Amino acid sequence: MTKTLLIFVIISIMIQFSSKISYSVEPEEFLQNPKQEIRARDISKNIRCLVCQNQSIDDSSAPLAKDLRAIIRTRVQENDTDEEIYKFLTDRYGDFILLKPPFKISTFLLWSLPFGFVIIGIFILFVHNKKSKKLS
Amino acid sequence: MKKKILIFPFIAFFFILIVFFYLLVIERDPSELPSVLIDKKIPTFEAESLLNKKIFISKNEFGTETTLVNFFATWCGPCRDEHVYLKRLSNEKGLKIIGVNYKDDPNKTVEWLKELGNPYSDVIVDSKGLIGIDWGVYGIPETYIVNSKGIIKYRLVGSITKKNYNAFYSKIKKSED
Repeated sequence: MTKTLLIFVIISIMIQFSSKISYSVEPEEFLQNPKQEIRARDISKNIRCLVCQNQSIDDSSAPLAKDLRAIIRTRVQENDTDEEIYKFLTDRYGDFILLKPPFKISTFLLWSLPFGFVIIGIFILFVHNKKSKKLS
Repeated sequence: MKKKILIFPFIAFFFILIVFFYLLVIERDPSELPSVLIDKKIPTFEAESLLNKKIFISKNEFGTETTLVNFFATWCGPCRDEHVYLKRLSNEKGLKIIGVNYKDDPNKTVEWLKELGNPYSDVIVDSKGLIGIDWGVYGIPETYIVNSKGIIKYRLVGSITKKNYNAFYSKIKKSED
């Protein structure tokens, strides 16, 4: 019984990992130079597909994602810097196209609130501990 | 004192509930993106014109009157639906509309315009969708309102419908303010 369960768990985990492999980038899109290809894929992984908005363009098979992947590859071949490529995309589609929002005045709360909550949490824990110590 | 503090989570909970309910009730599409090109000059481009068999140069075409830029394709169902409203804007309101034929077959487009009528002053061929990317297009139909100074004032994602026609027209009128 435990053996079958174990096999089941292992198979489920393997399926989970294998499904993470992306098949969206088609072979004809690959760049000849492996270094450039890796760079292009790294950039693509940070770019949101605007059609299926929770996927990166590296995962998405939407036509617009394919077009953007092609643009990124051309620019990588032309030796543009990462910043130049990101700027090209955000100039047209805004910060929303980046899966990781940049740190700006408008995103200050987004980035700082979690830390704020941690500090408040630690403070509450500290006060609570002190009180319970007093009681005991 | 302690009891008063206990009320606080309930107030916070109801506040969040009201906010969520409000967002649910109001008409909005969270997947619709605001354009970053609003209040900016139009992207300059040169492209092949479908009907006039000449090169379309954006610099010569904008900056004199309010102009609509409509991204469309024959393969796009909602584009066919909005066509009648584009014709209304062109024929009744006398607006200049430039069509950008997005990733389409030129022959089909010519047939399509013959069948449905042509509201466009010019139709530009964007076979690879690159003009679309320069304008930040992510799903056609999309219509941009460009004012007489060549500044983009509004973008409509999705088709012009009976429901949004009047609101859209008022945006056109406001674009010159």
